[in-house]
Amino acid sequence: MEILIDLQFASEEGYIDQETAAMVAEELHMTETRVYEIVSYYAMLKDKPQAKYVLKICNSSPCHFSRSEEVCLSLEKKLGVPMGKTTDDGLFAYHYIPCVGACDIGPVIKIKDTVFGNLNDEKISALIDDLRRGKIAV
Amino acid sequence: MAMKEPVLLKRVGKMTDSTSVDEYITYGGFAALQKAVSMDREDILGELDTALLRGRGGAAYPLGRKWRHLYGSTDTPKYIVCNADEGEPGTFKDKLLLEKDPLSIIEGMLIAGYVFGSNDGYIYIRGEYRHIQAVFHQAVSNALAAGYLGNKIMGIDGFDFHLHIVSGGGAYVCGENSALLNSVEGKTGRPRVKPPHLADVGLYLKPTLVNNVESFACVPAVINMGGEAFLQLGTKDGGGTKLICLSGHIKNRGIYEIPLGTPLDEILYSEEYGGGTSTGRPIKFCHFGGQSGPIGTSGQIKGCLYDYGDFWSHKLAVGSGAIVVMDDSVSVVDYITSVMEFFVHESCGKCTPCRLGTTRLLELLQNLQHHKGRPGDLERLEKMLEHITYLSACGLGQSVSVSVNSALAGYRDEFEACIS
Repeated sequence: MEILIDLQFASEEGYIDQETAAMVAEELHMTETRVYEIVSYYAMLKDKPQAKYVLKICNSSPCHFSRSEEVCLSLEKKLGVPMGKTTDDGLFAYHYIPCVGACDIGPVIKIKDTVFGNLNDEKISALIDDLRRGKIAV
Repeated sequence: MAMKEPVLLKRVGKMTDSTSVDEYITYGGFAALQKAVSMDREDILGELDTALLRGRGGAAYPLGRKWRHLYGSTDTPKYIVCNADEGEPGTFKDKLLLEKDPLSIIEGMLIAGYVFGSNDGYIYIRGEYRHIQAVFHQAVSNALAAGYLGNKIMGIDGFDFHLHIVSGGGAYVCGENSALLNSVEGKTGRPRVKPPHLADVGLYLKPTLVNNVESFACVPAVINMGGEAFLQLGTKDGGGTKLICLSGHIKNRGIYEIPLGTPLDEILYSEEYGGGTSTGRPIKFCHFGGQSGPIGTSGQIKGCLYDYGDFWSHKLAVGSGAIVVMDDSVSVVDYITSVMEFFVHESCGKCTPCRLGTTRLLELLQNLQHHKGRPGDLERLEKMLEHITYLSACGLGQSVSVSVNSALAGYRDEFEACIS
């Protein structure tokens, strides 16, 4: 699994494509089906291309009641796409995920390994602008 | 009852590099291991028994008893596993220890390795904590270089211990110990049917000890101060200090170390800890110990001590140490629906009562949430909760009912008001 996670993080589109899955299967002497069993079971692993920045909004109860819904509304306003859809430029998508263990700074957005906390409308807007301009690396 | 000296967090914030063995030793690190290797193994177990250190992952099972079970197992090799798959919403304490004092966890695991003559340890760190995995890798390689891991630890012949770091992949159920072991083995992380106990048939079907991060971090403290002194820090129902995580509508969200037995009012309202609500509204209820823990109404929690025994007598539980505070603007039906969404998402799907049970429960709760409940719904809800509790294979399904039942007990009128 660690091999798959590392490969996915290193991949351009943030997912395990079939070629990669086949390679892992061969190297580890297992079937491709077994590899896909792992990929589909663990939430962190993806079998489809992802947006460049996937903004994951924690929606477990501590965050849910710390205005995580407003984060989605802000994002929808800013990005012009509903949850689960990727922006036309392929840069952004957002969706809810369960607890990321940052309940002390909710509401939060997680992008790859970085967590952005204590968010409000302005901060979210600035975050998106900074990501667009490449001012923040994640 | 303010903390005189932190026990678990004594090094946090002092060390400039949390992975440095030299700094760790400067602040009292590895003293316990040094002491342990001069002790009789039975005596170490005796100290842990006396300390009444309860498992800090949530189950609160006495660690001494768990260790004795494994000690009595004759099969070899034995494996030492640290559960660092912290995924309970409202819980972020292990993250702090893993990042700020990783060597204390390693020391706890080494003491276990010494007691059980085990040569291999595994730490399963939550996938979402990738940056912390990097810190931990550094700590392991520093310990290895300093001779605190690897072969002939501290020059002692036969004391070999290798620590392997394994990453999770984003599955809450892997925090369940048998699912965690399956995941370490490279399988999909679904729980096993128990018995057999993991102390008899665990990792690679060998006897295995699985403890939480904070539990392992407590072990050096027990050895250093002695079981009796550790017990004295807490209460007769559980020794030591506990890391608690305050979140939700509380002013000072964060992690605090408190002696077990601290009044809950102090935790919630004193400026040193919670500082009251962040919204200025009164507290309505608190959710303790994670999603699978109970909810306590403001009336129920009044005057409680944060202590295993006192909590149990009030139908509450310490669990992982999470305290999610909600003010009076929150509908308990909304809250419980949100909790159930989590369980639906995280149910692994292996056993039907949990997979379908959580889904049906969520549907029913969503109906109630939209005031579309039908007469008899609450009775149906209770029946389903009973089924899922008794028929589910692992702790996830078995504990789904805890929060819902406690909410029903405290706020039945709010649920009834949702029925048209």
